[in-house]
Amino acid sequence: MISHIAIKPIIMKTLLRFFYLPFLLLTGVLLLSSFFGNKTSNLANAYKKAGLTDRQAALHLLNRFTFGPKPNDIEELLKIGTDKWFSQQLLAKFSDADLNSRLANYDAINLSNEEVNKIFPKNPQVLRMAIKDGFIDKDSVQTGDKKEYRNKLNAYMDSKGFRPTQELTRQFINQKILRAAYSENQLQEVLTDFWFNHFNVSLSKNDCAMYIPAYERDVIRPNVFGKFSNLLIATAKSPAMLFYLDNFSSVASNENEMAAMQKDAQNPKVKAALAKAQQNKNKRGLNENYAREVMELHTLGVDGGYTQSDVTQAARVLTGWTIYPMGTYGGGAAMLKQLDKLDASTLEKRGYVHDGDFLFVPNRHDKGDKVVLGKKFADGGYQEGVDLLNMLAHHPSTAKFICTKLAVRFVNDNPAQSIIDKMTKTFLAKDGDISAVLTTMVNAPEFWAKNSLDEKTKSPFELAISAVRALDANITQPYPLYTWINKMGQKVYYYQAPTGFPDKGQYWINTGALLNRMNFGLALAGQKISGVKINLAKLNNNHEPESTDAALRTYGKIILPERDLAHTIDRLTPFLNDPNLVQKVNQAASKNKPTSAMEQTDDEMMSGDSMVKTKPSAPLNKPTFANNEMLAQVVGVIIGAPEFQKR
Amino acid sequence: MTSRRGFLKAGGLAVFGIGLGGLPTFVTQAAAQIKQPGLFKRRKTLVCIFQRGAMDGLMAVTPFTDEYLKAARPTLFMSAAKSDTKKSLIDLDGKFGLHPSMSAFQSVFKDGRLGIVHGIGSPNNTRSHFDAQDYMESGTPFKKGTASGWLNRAVGLLGHDTATPFQGVSLTSSLPRSFYGDNPSVAISNLQDFNIQMRGNPSGANMAAKSFEDLYDQTTQGLLKDTGKDSFEAMNMLKKMDTKNYKPANNAQYPNTALGNSLKQIAQLIKMDVGLEVAFAESGGWDTHFNQGTDTGIFARNVNDLSESMVAFWNDMGTLQDDVTVMTMTEFGRTVKQNGTGGTDHGRASCNFILGNDVFGGKVHGKMNELAIENLEDGRDLAVTTDFRSVFSEVADKHLGINKDNILFPDWDGGHIGMMRG
Repeated sequence: MISHIAIKPIIMKTLLRFFYLPFLLLTGVLLLSSFFGNKTSNLANAYKKAGLTDRQAALHLLNRFTFGPKPNDIEELLKIGTDKWFSQQLLAKFSDADLNSRLANYDAINLSNEEVNKIFPKNPQVLRMAIKDGFIDKDSVQTGDKKEYRNKLNAYMDSKGFRPTQELTRQFINQKILRAAYSENQLQEVLTDFWFNHFNVSLSKNDCAMYIPAYERDVIRPNVFGKFSNLLIATAKSPAMLFYLDNFSSVASNENEMAAMQKDAQNPKVKAALAKAQQNKNKRGLNENYAREVMELHTLGVDGGYTQSDVTQAARVLTGWTIYPMGTYGGGAAMLKQLDKLDASTLEKRGYVHDGDFLFVPNRHDKGDKVVLGKKFADGGYQEGVDLLNMLAHHPSTAKFICTKLAVRFVNDNPAQSIIDKMTKTFLAKDGDISAVLTTMVNAPEFWAKNSLDEKTKSPFELAISAVRALDANITQPYPLYTWINKMGQKVYYYQAPTGFPDKGQYWINTGALLNRMNFGLALAGQKISGVKINLAKLNNNHEPESTDAALRTYGKIILPERDLAHTIDRLTPFLNDPNLVQKVNQAASKNKPTSAMEQTDDEMMSGDSMVKTKPSAPLNKPTFANNEMLAQVVGVIIGAPEFQKR
Repeated sequence: MTSRRGFLKAGGLAVFGIGLGGLPTFVTQAAAQIKQPGLFKRRKTLVCIFQRGAMDGLMAVTPFTDEYLKAARPTLFMSAAKSDTKKSLIDLDGKFGLHPSMSAFQSVFKDGRLGIVHGIGSPNNTRSHFDAQDYMESGTPFKKGTASGWLNRAVGLLGHDTATPFQGVSLTSSLPRSFYGDNPSVAISNLQDFNIQMRGNPSGANMAAKSFEDLYDQTTQGLLKDTGKDSFEAMNMLKKMDTKNYKPANNAQYPNTALGNSLKQIAQLIKMDVGLEVAFAESGGWDTHFNQGTDTGIFARNVNDLSESMVAFWNDMGTLQDDVTVMTMTEFGRTVKQNGTGGTDHGRASCNFILGNDVFGGKVHGKMNELAIENLEDGRDLAVTTDFRSVFSEVADKHLGINKDNILFPDWDGGHIGMMRG
C-alpha cells in the first residue's frame, strides 16, 4: 500500500506544471484547494478545449477507467468533479462494503499458496495418495465402475479434508466478475486486469494454476499503481510466473564443468563423473523461456534491442530463482527437509534468499561472468537477478513499450505517437511510476480527442460486465456469466500464450463471437442467465413506457447515455412495432416460461455458488406491465447493438 | 475490410447470372443444386485432430518384432500372432502392427489412403503436456512468446481473399492455440448454435435477428458492419441446410462421441461449400498413466473412437475425398517401459496418421531403431527421428499449396520426408 501514499504529491506536481510556480506561491494554499473545484479543473481545461461537454467527458472517464457506467454514474462523477474523481480512483481507498459482503462466502480466495497446496491437491496427486493409502485398488482405476470409483475418491478426499481444484478455480473466476461489477475502486480492477494480462499466466497450465489466485491478489493488485520495477520483480519471484515460464527449473548448465572434465577423461573417476554429468545434461540445465519473455513481452518489447546472446546470458543470471517447497508430497518434501535442517542465519550465510514463496538456491545459480545489454554480472548471487530486472524496468525501450500498451488500452487501438511520447517522458522521469504516467495521459489533449471517444471495442468480459452494470443487475451467481463470456470468445484466465489476450477490436469481432454478443444481450435482458437478476421497471423508476417506441427511447438513454441513438431508433421502430410480431412474441413467451437452469451446462456444483441454491422466482410470470416481453426484447437488442460493443 | 466483401458473391452468383441469360433451364437448375446454398468456390480442406494428453504411439502402432519392447512391457505388449483369448495386432508390414481396435483403418491403409509416421515429435524435449502442446500448436518449439498458432498462419498463407467466416474453423468451445492470431478463424462447438437464439421464442428470435441485421448494416463502424454482414450471411447459409437432420453419405457411421460429432460437423461444412479450408478438432483421454489396457480398456476405446471417426468422415466425403486430408497430432509419446500402475508415463516420440488421396499411404514412414536402451532418448523414450514440422509442412504444402515455411514454421529449415504424393 506504500505505493498509494506517494500518489498525491505526483498529482500536485503535475498541477504545478500547468500553473506557474511563482503565481502559486503568491496565492497560497486557498487557491490550491480550488484547483479541485470544477471551474479551474485541469481535466476540464483539457476536455473543454477538445470541445467536450461535462457529461461527455464524464462518460469518457467512466468508459476508460471503469468497467462501464452504472445508471446515474455520470451525474455522481460530475458531483464529485472530474479531477477529484480521477485522483480518488488512483488512490483506490473505497471500503467496498457491498463487494466484500458479496465475496464473504468465497473462502478459498484468501488462502495462501501453501494452504491452497494442502487443501486443493491436484487430481493425479490425490489418486496416487489414495492408492498408496490403500483406499483405492489401482486396478479399479478406469476399468471398474466409474461412479463407484468416483465415490470412493470423493470419500477419500473428504476424509483428508481435500477439496477439488475446480472449486478453487471457480471461486477465483467468480471473484473476478464480482470485483469488476461491484468494486468502487474500479480503476484498480481495470488495471489489475491490464497488468495480469501483461504478465499473463494461464489456468490451462496445471503446474501453475493453483498459484494464480494468490498471484492476482498479492502480486498484481497491490502493485498496479506503483513503480513498474516493483511489479516486474514481484512477478518474477511469484510461483505462478516461475512455473508458467519454467524458470523454477532453470539451473546452471554443467557444460563448462563437462568441458573441463573432458580434458582428464582418461582418469576412471573423472570418466564416471562425466558419464553422470552427461546423463543429467538433459534433465537439468538452463531454461531460457522466462529470460526471453521477460525481455520480449514484459519489458523491452520485441524490437527493444536485445539479442539471442542477451537472452541466454539473462537466463544464466536468473538461475537459482525458484519456489520455496510447499506441501508434504511431491518433489518439494525432500528439499524442505534439507532446508529445515538449516537455520535462517546459516541459509543466509550460504547465499540462500527466502522471501515468502520465493527461494533463491545458490548452488543452482551460474556463478560465471555474464553480460546482458552490455552490463556485466558476476558472482552476485540473488542480487544479480534483481539488478538485471531493475535495469530492464528502467530501460528506455521498456518505457516506450509499456506506455504504448497503456495508451492502446486507455486511449484507442492506434494511439498518436505524441501521447505515447509524453507518457514515456513521465515514465522515465518518475522512475516508472504508473500513476504518474496515467496522470500525464489523462491530461493530454489526445486523450480527449474525438477519435478516442467510443473507439475501443469491448472485450467479451468488458461487454458482459458493462451490461450488468448498465442494467444495475444483481449477480447472485457469477459463473453462468463466465460461460457466456467464454462463448463470446474470451476464456478469461485461460489464455495459453504469455502474450496475453490481444488488445484490439479486430481480435474480438469475429463472426461467431458477434452473434453470441447479440444472443448475450437477449439472454441477459430476458432474464435467461441464471444468477443474474435485473429489474427493468426499476431502472426507469417504475414508470411503464407507453409504447415500444417510448421504451426504446427511454432505455436507450439509460443504457447508452450521451450517444446519438436517432439512427438506431429509426431503424428499430418498424420492427418492434409490427403488431403481428409483437403478438407472436408475447404468445410464445407466455407459453415458455423461463427456467433457472438455462445455459448452465456445467454440472459440477461448486460451493462458491452454493449459497444460491434457491431458484429465481420467475419474474416474467408476473406481468408488471403488458409489454414486459417487448421491453426485454428492446433492451436485449440495445445491448447487442453495435453502439454497445464500443466504449 | 471492404475489399474483402467484394469477393463474397463472386463465386456462386455468377453462375446464376449467366444461367438466366442463355443457358437451358436444366443447366441452371443443376447449377443451383450444386451451388446452393454455398456461395464459395470449393477448395481443399485440411482437417487436424489434436490428441490431447500424449498418445502412446508404441501401442497404437507397435513394432511387434522388437524384443526390447516386449521385455519393457510385460502386461501391455500385444502380439500379432493369432490368439484365441485376446485380439491380436493387425500386421501392417511384418514389422508394425496396428492396435486391434483400429481395424477401421485396415482397409484405408491397404488402399494406400492412410499413411503413418512413426518416431514423430518435437525437437524440444519437454515432457510437460502444456509446454509440448503449446510448442506444437504455435509451431515454434523453442519459443513461448509466438503470438500466433501455425494453423492461423496457414489460413493467412492460403492467400484467398474471401469473406467466408468459415475459412478456419475449430470445433471447440474456445479457440485453440493453433488458431491464435490475426487471420479470421472461429470456434464453434455446435453448428446449431450459430444463430440468434431466444429459448422457446422463435418469433422473438426472428424479430431480434432482423433488428440486429439492420442495425449492423447501418452502423458507421466499419469492422462491426462487415463482420455483422458476414455473420448474418453465414447464419442464413447454415439455416438453409438442415444441420439438425444431417444424413451422412454412403451410410457412414460416426461414433456418438465428441470427436465423431466434430468430424460430422466438419463434413457438413465442407459439403455446404462455405469456404472451409482449415478445420480443427480435439480428442482427449490419452494421458494413460493408469491401466491403459491392451485389446480392451481405456486406450482401446480411444483408438477405436479415433479410427472409426476418421473413417466415417472419409466415407461420408465420398466423391469429395480428393479435397480433404485428415491429420492427427499429439504432443509427445510415452515411455517404452510400462510403469507401476499398468500405464505409461510421459515420453518423447509418438506416431501420427494422415488420411487422404494425396497421402503416400499404406506405409509406415519415419525411422525407428530397435528399442535397446542405448537407442532411446535419455535412456527411456522412443527417440524423435522426424520433426513434427517436417510432416505438418509437407501436408500443408502438398494438400493446401502452402510452401512458405519461413512463415509457417519460422526458425525451421528442415526438409520433407516424402509421405505425400506430388
